[in-house]
Amino acid sequence: MEILSLYNNLNTFLIIGALLFSMGVYGLVTRRTLIGMLIAAELILAGASINFMAFNRFTAPDPQVGQIFTLFIMAIAAAEAAIGLSIVVAIYRNYKSIDAEDLVELKG
Amino acid sequence: MIAELLFSVFAVLAIIGGLGLVLARHPMNGAICLVMTMISLAGLYSLLSAKLIFVLQLIVYAGAIMSLILFIIMFLNIRKEDLPKEEWRWAYYLGGIVVIAPVGLLMTKAVKALPGSEASIMGNGFGGVKEVGVVLFREWLLPFEIVSILLLVSLVGAVVLAGKRRVEQ
Repeated sequence: MEILSLYNNLNTFLIIGALLFSMGVYGLVTRRTLIGMLIAAELILAGASINFMAFNRFTAPDPQVGQIFTLFIMAIAAAEAAIGLSIVVAIYRNYKSIDAEDLVELKG
Repeated sequence: MIAELLFSVFAVLAIIGGLGLVLARHPMNGAICLVMTMISLAGLYSLLSAKLIFVLQLIVYAGAIMSLILFIIMFLNIRKEDLPKEEWRWAYYLGGIVVIAPVGLLMTKAVKALPGSEASIMGNGFGGVKEVGVVLFREWLLPFEIVSILLLVSLVGAVVLAGKRRVEQ
């Protein structure tokens, strides 16, 4: 793979998507603030959607289904952000904290 | 050649944004890094010649969703002493590298095993509003409507969850 055909190549987009996805998973696991975990989840969705776009462009361009999926991912991300942020606000109101480890009252 | 240059810039910026999100302690810095990632992803989409998704990524994702997140972070007014202490940061980094390195090697092998499909030149219509819209409203109409119901439900849920509750006596 010569350097010049870098952007006409499926693999580079897949590698970018994999990097974004794995950084998102790492952030989701290691963040301790609720809002940081939410932002990391957004990064996971971004990594998935760039995979859809790249596969749509390079392997199955005729019915542009990959772009439809990216649209749906955007809608799901909007819903997730709205619900997650309102949960964060409600928790902050009750506990005065955004630390996920303070919320252990439900421990069995 | 300008496309190559743009691709390299956008790819590097996207990865830097993700790294910044992982490494930043304050959620505000993480959110700003995520905005950078989203904008450079929009550039990558435009290099994939998806015009509609490029515009929507800028307006909806980098505009609306990220400003919602930034607004909530500012609303919570998080100071440095509110942040949880992360004494084991470096152990986390080390453990993360140890866990992720084999997965990354596996992924690289899998990607290399794929047949390298070069892009053919797309017609003018690829990724335009009309073409994507026709597919969306003909074949994906039912999921589209279901997504609208999902957005309605999440709207009502956000109002119920974050709205002010009356104290019941």
